[in-house]
Amino acid sequence: MSHIVVLIITVLALGATALGLPLAEAQQPPPSWKQGQPAELATSPLSPHAQPPAPKAPGEIPVDKLKVPSGFKVSLWASGLPNARVMTWGDKGTLFVSSRVAGNVYAVLDRGGSREVKTIAKGLNLPNGIAFKNGVLYIAEIHRITKMEGIEDKLDAPPAMTPVYETLPKDAPHGWKYLAFGPDGKLYFNIGAPCNICIPPDTHANISSVNPDGSGFEYFAQGVRNSVGFDWHPVTKELYFATHARDWLGEDVPNDRLDHAPRKGLHFGFPYCHQGDIPDPEFGKGRSCAEFAPPLLKTGPHVAGNGVQFYTGSMFPPEYRNRMFLAQRGSWNRSQKTGFKVMMVTLRPGDVPRYETFAEGWLDGDKFWGRPVYTQQMKDGSLLISDDYVGAIYRVTYQR
Amino acid sequence: MAGLLAAGAPLRPAADDGSRRKAEPCGACHGPAGNSSIPTVPSLAGQPAIYLHWQLILFRDGRRPDPQMAPLAAALSDADMTELAAWYAAQKPVPPPRVPLTPAQADAGRALAERHFCFACHGAAFEGRDYAPRLSALHVDYLTSQLRRFKAGTRGDLDGAMTTAAQPLNDEAIVDLSRFIGGMGPP
Repeated sequence: MSHIVVLIITVLALGATALGLPLAEAQQPPPSWKQGQPAELATSPLSPHAQPPAPKAPGEIPVDKLKVPSGFKVSLWASGLPNARVMTWGDKGTLFVSSRVAGNVYAVLDRGGSREVKTIAKGLNLPNGIAFKNGVLYIAEIHRITKMEGIEDKLDAPPAMTPVYETLPKDAPHGWKYLAFGPDGKLYFNIGAPCNICIPPDTHANISSVNPDGSGFEYFAQGVRNSVGFDWHPVTKELYFATHARDWLGEDVPNDRLDHAPRKGLHFGFPYCHQGDIPDPEFGKGRSCAEFAPPLLKTGPHVAGNGVQFYTGSMFPPEYRNRMFLAQRGSWNRSQKTGFKVMMVTLRPGDVPRYETFAEGWLDGDKFWGRPVYTQQMKDGSLLISDDYVGAIYRVTYQR
Repeated sequence: MAGLLAAGAPLRPAADDGSRRKAEPCGACHGPAGNSSIPTVPSLAGQPAIYLHWQLILFRDGRRPDPQMAPLAAALSDADMTELAAWYAAQKPVPPPRVPLTPAQADAGRALAERHFCFACHGAAFEGRDYAPRLSALHVDYLTSQLRRFKAGTRGDLDGAMTTAAQPLNDEAIVDLSRFIGGMGPP
């Protein structure tokens, strides 16, 4: 809320108290998913989909419903990982997997024909962000970044989590993070806007960075409502990130975004301008979308793009080199569901990227049975896709 | 799938017997069919199965701090939790003795519930949905204690929603709201 509005409300409230009027007449904020809902949509049945508390048994995961391009095959690689989200490799072949509301971090060991899953941390505060470097696993929860040193040798007796950076905002809405090492060796993460639509504090709605020792906090990109997936181009080393746009503006607007941040200090428009060309009905007044960096690609309304990853392997055909995978967890704020698939983005200098479906089938008519959320490449160039709804990881291979 | 586990959905007799036996130890506090006669212990009958299962996970992992429930939840496997949650969800809620409200108390309580958007998640009759528990047919003392703990930040929740929702409530509002919810008619 702007400082002037806060001041006016405070003065009125003090005045009301002086007159003996009840303070409690002021409307309280609704639950975060309902905030920003206009009066004409007050009876909408839409609300976020609840997360199943238990993962699905392998026999109950309909992998055969998944479709991938000709020459590719998709199979179930691991299951029994409640709310599986980000995947990141250790130095010795361990795949670390995060979760969100389940509060766990997992270690997956590849035993050849099967996978062994260990839970190395639980009870955490939405620990979506994990990154690994030099033997250390870094974990980003809502309120802090911590680390586990030497974890790969101690999977059955994990070391204590020690502090990296502990003064992050504690807001639960959009507080969960994506965490990744940048080309400069710093840890990058998002601090999402603490609302659906509002003027965020200066400390929010951004992508920021910090050194692995906790020093050197820096804001990198502003006006980013919430990005939980980003990667750097293998050649240019520039940042590309996916952003979730606001809700309750309509079925088809605004689009979620894919953005390119070639340097620090850009503002990407939130909350004043959505998808590069729609001024917010409330906060856009007196502003112009021309003030802000437009999206590289409008990725579709409410599709919920999470995982962003450039492909650098040699298993897939040559045209896949440096192509980006974008995992879309799928919509809740739209009566006709959209997303629930993995897209691929091919950058074309001076032109809008090519945008095509890579893997789909999690959405079956009006019902979804799973939600693809992040990707991770294996050493052999095959692609893992995590599904946080059924708690599993799929593997996509290619053979000519 | 979640729809099948909504309140009142009957289970096959054999499955019901097995689950009933599994729930027997829980009955000591929560009542034989999930209707508690202890005012500070919640009734579990007719709660959304997703809600019950997540609460067991939160107890087990210490996210909802409770020294009594933590070791009991830790002893349960994923399959146990699924089975218990489904069984309790299928039981019929029996309201505790109703606390009569004056019309003024009912009006004040309803105004609070509307102002704080309780109905938006818990339903127009407080019947509950997904993460939001059924609030009808619960003891007023239990409702009051939970709201106080949410306000204090000591009652964990899955995604922070209830802790946030309770912050604007002073204790008078908590008492009024709990009395209103507890005084509503049977589900």
